[in-house]
Amino acid sequence: MPPVDDLRGFLAVLKENGQLLEFDETVQPEPDLGSAGRAVSTVGGEAAPALLFNSIAGFHDARVALNVHGSWRNHALMLGLPAESTVKVQFDTLRTRWQKFPVPVDRRGEAPWQEITVRGDDINLFEQLPVFRLNPGDAGPYIDKSAVITRDSADSDNFGKENVGLYRLQVKGPRKLGIQAAAPHDFQRHVSSASKLKEGLPVAIAIGNDPIIMLAASTPLDYDQSEYEMAGAWRDGVPYPVATAPLTGLTVPWGSEIVLEGEVHYEDREFEGPFGEFTGHYSGGRMLPTITIQRIHTRKNPILEALYLGIPWTEIDYLIALNTSVPIFEQLHDAFPEVKAVNAMYTHGLVTIVSTSIRHGGFGRVVGLRALTIPHGIGYSKIVIVVDETVDPFNLEQVMWALSTKFNPEFDAITIPRMYEVPLDPSSLPTGITTRMVMDATTPRPPDERGSADPEVTSFPDAERWESIIKDALA
Amino acid sequence: MSAILCPRCRSTAVSEVAYSPVPDVWSMSSCSMCWYAWRSTEGPSARDPEQYPKEFRLSAGDLTSAPTTV
Repeated sequence: MPPVDDLRGFLAVLKENGQLLEFDETVQPEPDLGSAGRAVSTVGGEAAPALLFNSIAGFHDARVALNVHGSWRNHALMLGLPAESTVKVQFDTLRTRWQKFPVPVDRRGEAPWQEITVRGDDINLFEQLPVFRLNPGDAGPYIDKSAVITRDSADSDNFGKENVGLYRLQVKGPRKLGIQAAAPHDFQRHVSSASKLKEGLPVAIAIGNDPIIMLAASTPLDYDQSEYEMAGAWRDGVPYPVATAPLTGLTVPWGSEIVLEGEVHYEDREFEGPFGEFTGHYSGGRMLPTITIQRIHTRKNPILEALYLGIPWTEIDYLIALNTSVPIFEQLHDAFPEVKAVNAMYTHGLVTIVSTSIRHGGFGRVVGLRALTIPHGIGYSKIVIVVDETVDPFNLEQVMWALSTKFNPEFDAITIPRMYEVPLDPSSLPTGITTRMVMDATTPRPPDERGSADPEVTSFPDAERWESIIKDALA
Repeated sequence: MSAILCPRCRSTAVSEVAYSPVPDVWSMSSCSMCWYAWRSTEGPSARDPEQYPKEFRLSAGDLTSAPTTV
């Protein structure tokens, strides 16, 4: 089945597979939408459906979609896999398709989001979009699931450096947004370039997209790797459809429901937040840049897509699970071909589990330390657990067994103080600084002789034959 | 309802900034000191300064001491 080019196409796929719940009765922006976003993860777990609300109080024709990525079933359907596909199968699919990168984009002319355009002072984001407060302690309504597109002003013709990122946007006024990014993010490099040239930074914000571009937008790619060309790879080689935003000239998804265009004010910093974040905690307030919106383009009867964030697991955890794990795997594997798999599904990789074969004694900790210095590891990878290649890092029972029996805190815990990390981790002190820890739970190898008198339990080769017998008996 | 004080920071820099496209369903208010925004149809804990949760309130000091991270 070819990949879908827009959100409506994917909602149809979800519906065909029993993964979409539609609500036609009118709901209140608050507290209904945020409450439903929380509840669907609690009730549905790994099989939770997406939600589509067709009537929002006070709006004529607004619609809101939630939890589009919010279960392993939805995630599998996004990849064109059977809904029941295991996490490991989905990891391997993304890893295999990664090899097709880069896939040139499919640049198209007219886009569906060009149906309606509102300009300048006629814009009122609160009235034209059904934005809402997601959690009680949030500063106000946020646009929390969009593709934010900017260029490097110092190298504006470099398509690879045109960034598509997922950043939270506080709706602060009729035409005003606040935007949050951290120091290692590509957006911050673009702000720095604009600041040096003393130019405003054009920005496009695409809302309500096909699911693959949101997966790519929230993937920690290298600075000059194009999210659009990665989306093509993850569409199994089918070029990603894009169009040109008329005011800014930025490249935006062809299939979006809503496209905003405007300018980032690189010199301004203004109080933003708090907002309930992917850490499962409210962020503190920060001084952050602002954006003025100059155009809103929408389809007729557009769908505002939003993302629920709360105490894990919620939709955000599914969205940034495997697209965090795969690039860390690729970057580690480039350095050490012994690395077999990476599970960085916990809070965007603040805890990362790596399985690897071992060259020699002490090798596990070498691999673990490397995970701290790859691009994503600089801001995340607070705790890295390294296990043998025989341990599946997605199987937490196996990982806990390795930690229980192969890890001696006196010898196998490495701590490095005063490291940078994403400021949103509430345990950091000062904000954005933490100690890192590598836990080497691989089996000691010579010349480290620990445990050599107590080898792992083996089983009779006949156990495999008995597996078949028992499976047949159970069938 | 047009609040005089921001429920979160208690500033008076508050104004109504939006009205529901379907008339008279809700209005949106915003504080230009701490940028808290609330809808008239939200519960009193979101719009009444006396009932706004203590753990989310902000002082003038909170606003001036917030870190710059980018």
